[in-house]
Amino acid sequence: MTIEAELTRVIGLFQLPFMQRALMGGVLTGLMGGLLGSFTILRQLSFFSDALGHSALLGISIGLLLGFDPSWVLLPFAVVFALVVTYFLERTQLWTDALLNIIYSSSLAVGIILLSFRDEYQGGITNLLFGDILAVQTADLIFGTVLLAVCAGFIGLTLRSQILLTLHEPMAIARGVNVSAQRTTFIVLLSLVVGISIKAIGVLLISAFVVIPACAARLLSRQFTHYILISAGLGAVSAVMGMLLSALFDLPSGPSIVAVQLGIFLLAALVPTARAIAP
Amino acid sequence: MNVPVLVVQGLTVYRGTHPAVQEVSFTVPAGTDTAIIGPNGAGKSTLIQAVLGILPRQAGQIAVLGHALSNKGYLPPAVRQQIAYLPQNFLFDRRIPITVSELVGLGWDGVGPQLPWVGGRARRHAVRAALTQVEAWHLRDQLVSSLSGGETKRVLLAYCLVRPRSLLILDEAPAGLDVLGESEFYQLLYQLKQEQGWAILQISHDLDMVRRSCDRVLCMNRKLLCQGPPDHALAPEQLSLAYGPDLVRYHHTCEPHHHDY
Repeated sequence: MTIEAELTRVIGLFQLPFMQRALMGGVLTGLMGGLLGSFTILRQLSFFSDALGHSALLGISIGLLLGFDPSWVLLPFAVVFALVVTYFLERTQLWTDALLNIIYSSSLAVGIILLSFRDEYQGGITNLLFGDILAVQTADLIFGTVLLAVCAGFIGLTLRSQILLTLHEPMAIARGVNVSAQRTTFIVLLSLVVGISIKAIGVLLISAFVVIPACAARLLSRQFTHYILISAGLGAVSAVMGMLLSALFDLPSGPSIVAVQLGIFLLAALVPTARAIAP
Repeated sequence: MNVPVLVVQGLTVYRGTHPAVQEVSFTVPAGTDTAIIGPNGAGKSTLIQAVLGILPRQAGQIAVLGHALSNKGYLPPAVRQQIAYLPQNFLFDRRIPITVSELVGLGWDGVGPQLPWVGGRARRHAVRAALTQVEAWHLRDQLVSSLSGGETKRVLLAYCLVRPRSLLILDEAPAGLDVLGESEFYQLLYQLKQEQGWAILQISHDLDMVRRSCDRVLCMNRKLLCQGPPDHALAPEQLSLAYGPDLVRYHHTCEPHHHDY
């Protein structure tokens, strides 16, 4: 097949409604992941988003056993789960990564056991693990757009407090920043972003959307505000490029986007600025 | 001069199950410099953290500029703007990409919700003025993580300076500087204090500096052992209460160094 014919095929593909929804879903997830991811990695919560994604399987299993649509159970579960984990992290003397490992591996195990009681859902596990961005519906896009607006509004309106809180918590408290409220709101938003993205990206890959664009942006930035914008931008750009790559070579969409994110990260690591600011 | 910017009454703060600060009361009048001295583990940092609302208190009252600090650490935003705090060591993750201008700008901003671009011009002007005053304008685009210890302290003073303040709280602020750096820091601090009319509450282990520069001294070891002007609070009998007789003997054998701050 010639290149011209191939391009015509891809253009035709993106005129299909499900592909357009998938593209918009990817961009929304990329923007939200990049935006919140910029603070997530600096606050060393990368593993938190990973644990949250894996543990979502438990929420889906509970929803199925109770006879509810898993999508409706997933978001409240993610929020409650995130708040419970935060509570334990603040009140135990254990290491954060160790505690998260206990929680996510055990909830994953319980989730799989619960799913084994539902034979008709066995085939859905692959979709759950790797996501199916082509199955994104209009309702998902509307909710995603609203969530993006809320995330952007929250970060934008509290930007200085968020930066100070990330930089030096005691100085933030001394300035009157309500650290507990800010931290809880951030965690709730992060859990909602992870929860809503699982359908499209899957529990195994969702943390890549939060972590990789932010790490690439960190390598390319000298200013905090630029860093946040670049992180969100790279999230969106990698979603578009990943979808194109997926359409061109008939590859799975979610992993293609993550592969593009990795490519951008590796390129960013080669940029002289990155070498200059790397610790 | 005599209007108190800070009033602390009967303050008790626990660290775990043990009281780190017990029934401490004192007042910091406007424009004065109060030093907190005492041995390691005396509760000095705990006291300051309770005053800032970083740590909860078990008993007592704290008022800043006539406004009570709530048990949950709330003060009206306008009052919070009047306080600046410099921690003992400005330890932060050095991988965070933040420039000197951005850090100083954080001192200018309020803590309530605000659009990031609102007040941009006034903010830039204030940052420039503050950095110029501490002779650090040339550092404005540098990453904070790339600064030396002395440069970091100057930039932190610009962070305090970028808005008018009434109270500066310093927890061993010159820690980590060599003798020359410490001397330069204090010189700049007291020059700015003179210009800005700040009241200062600071923890210090430099008793000579305290004797020369401070108006009042709080000598504590969990409890407040004595307070008053340096001549009184740094008298050998008072120091021996806090540090034991060894320190007093040491001080008698060492002539104090004199610097012009």
